[in-house]
Amino acid sequence: MDWALVHNLGIGFGVALSLQNLMYCFFGVLLGTLIGVLPGIGPVATIAMLLPVTFNLSPISALIMLAGIYYGAQYGGSTTAILVNLPGESSSVITCLDGYAMARQGRAGPALAIAAMGSFFAGCVATVIIALFAPPLAEVALKFGPAEYFSLMVLGLVGATVLAHGSLVKAIAMTILGLLMGLVGTDVNSGIARFSFGLSELSDGIGFVIVAMGVFGFAEIITNLEQGEARDVFVNKVTGLMPTWKDLKDSSGAILRGTALGSALGILPGGGALLSSFAAYTLEKKIGDTSKFGKGEIRGVAAPESANNAGAQTSFIPLLTLGIPSNPVMALMIGAMMIQGIAPGPQVMTERPELFWGMIASMWIGNLMLVILNLPLIGMWVKLLTVPYRLLYPSILLFCCVGVYSLSNQPFDVMLTAIYGLLGYIFVKLECEPAPLILGFILGPLMEENLRRAMLLSRGDPSVFVTKPISGVLLGIALVLLLITLAPAVRKTREVAFQE
Amino acid sequence: MHIKNGKDFWAGLMFMGFGLAFTLVALNYPMGSAVRMGPAYFPTVLGGMLVVLGAMVFFRAFVSKFEHPLKVFLFRPPLLIAAIVIGGATYFASGPALTFGGEAYFAHNFFKGGPMVQFALAGLALLLFIGAFGPRSMFLILLAVVIFGYALKPLGLVLATVILIVVSAVGGHDFRKKEIVILTIVLVIFGVFVFVKGLGLPFNLWPGE
Repeated sequence: MDWALVHNLGIGFGVALSLQNLMYCFFGVLLGTLIGVLPGIGPVATIAMLLPVTFNLSPISALIMLAGIYYGAQYGGSTTAILVNLPGESSSVITCLDGYAMARQGRAGPALAIAAMGSFFAGCVATVIIALFAPPLAEVALKFGPAEYFSLMVLGLVGATVLAHGSLVKAIAMTILGLLMGLVGTDVNSGIARFSFGLSELSDGIGFVIVAMGVFGFAEIITNLEQGEARDVFVNKVTGLMPTWKDLKDSSGAILRGTALGSALGILPGGGALLSSFAAYTLEKKIGDTSKFGKGEIRGVAAPESANNAGAQTSFIPLLTLGIPSNPVMALMIGAMMIQGIAPGPQVMTERPELFWGMIASMWIGNLMLVILNLPLIGMWVKLLTVPYRLLYPSILLFCCVGVYSLSNQPFDVMLTAIYGLLGYIFVKLECEPAPLILGFILGPLMEENLRRAMLLSRGDPSVFVTKPISGVLLGIALVLLLITLAPAVRKTREVAFQE
Repeated sequence: MHIKNGKDFWAGLMFMGFGLAFTLVALNYPMGSAVRMGPAYFPTVLGGMLVVLGAMVFFRAFVSKFEHPLKVFLFRPPLLIAAIVIGGATYFASGPALTFGGEAYFAHNFFKGGPMVQFALAGLALLLFIGAFGPRSMFLILLAVVIFGYALKPLGLVLATVILIVVSAVGGHDFRKKEIVILTIVLVIFGVFVFVKGLGLPFNLWPGE
């Protein structure tokens, strides 16, 4: 038994169990569930709005609350997916398929219960994984030079590309477009404001909240309105939450596989909740009896819901150990840490152990709160869903606008978000998946910085990326991933898998 | 040649356009060398890659096994051309002096001419640009958002919220007057108490505060 781990977790629980932090954790998961249930408003808008407020909190309380919003949203998202066939959260898109089918068969209760149980199990496992793997990873990360960082980011981008829907070429193009958009603003080395067209508002770069909110939030509202309102809420049919013994037996394997896959994908930069849920569903469809998928297979609910929760939590690992954000929410967490004067990176764990371990302990506590919140309070969340979309979307717009505006109190940011909303609509229509664009956008400046440093250190010799062992291995994995995707057999199944 | 896949056709054009634009703008900056990369180095490499990938998508449109019509979404070329002409003229006439945000123009420059005319022309170009694509609902929603952004400071949270809710609600298919009135009142009260009183966001509630 590793006593250091027990000791550290002791510190963590000591911090997380203080009355104040329990309160912020509760507030975070409650708010997270709420925004998860409501389609269209997600953790990005919410955290962006709360970011200025966290300035007045202690660092640990702020991080506990913001983290709670993120994983709480994963719980809430499944409720909407199952009952309304609308993803409350983008990571629940895939749950709609079988979850809604189950609801139509009058089995909404078991679907909700299995989703919550799977999420809880996954949350617990992911918490342990962070506690076990983050410290050794942080030690490795201390040895990371610019070449290793660059290669790691390449791997993350390739991962996001490979797991995106549809055409691989388009996904790569979207990644590169994201990287380019991320470069807008003042270049740190030369001080030249790039691609700013002389506009002072662009010299600090484009905020990723603006891009994420426009491309995901606004574009979704526009496409929803275009398709017209066709929602059928199974409100009165939620009876008997308890799943049968057979349900439990059927889904236990799926929960385990989903948790494992989600935890692994969450660690990868570019991973996180969304990719995990897709990958878990695709995996489930290859195992055992697949005849019932799309027609109310409980495994089709259990696997992605476990995976998205596991992925949401383990995506904190690259943030806490490397200081690399793997998705827009993590990039906001970096913002929250910066506000508190903490530079994210491997040193956080040794210099501020109470922060790191307190956050991990709070995740476990938060997951427990979520199960308690979700199952008995399901009736309340269901009521919320009866609000028609024609009333919901103006409210969502208001939240998004206030969230964007409060970032730096500039009307220009709001206008830019509208332009990104337009772009997002065009992306949807042209079948260009926006997730790789966002990741590229976040990583753009970091990648350029590390590329420059690596090339400076190697005196312009690009072979350094291959000859350094860690860097070489990371690039090798990225290459293998790409080649596998291009292999004809995988290509075919990939096309089939993403057809639905 | 027959265009089989309209989505790939436009996506390819879009990627090539973006790649070319970024590369051309980057040429204004120092390139540097592989050892000491200048600000133009990374964007030029990426821009070139984007053009190549865009070309691949573009040519795939002619051999694709998926059939999509060329008309993917509503597109009004005259509005786009007008937006580019007006926006371009305004930009080149005012150069770097043009700014969209920072100080609230309504409060300070409204009657002073100069920047206000620029602002109005730039705004017109923006609206034409947004209106050039997509359905009516999109135009109204994005219009509501833009107005909210620029009205929040001069008009205050209450009026800006009213405008946002009403204009965006008109964008839906099912506009019910009574409901929207109630929704607006609820959201204004919510906004005042949660955003301003609760979260302490620095918005003024009324004009000129």
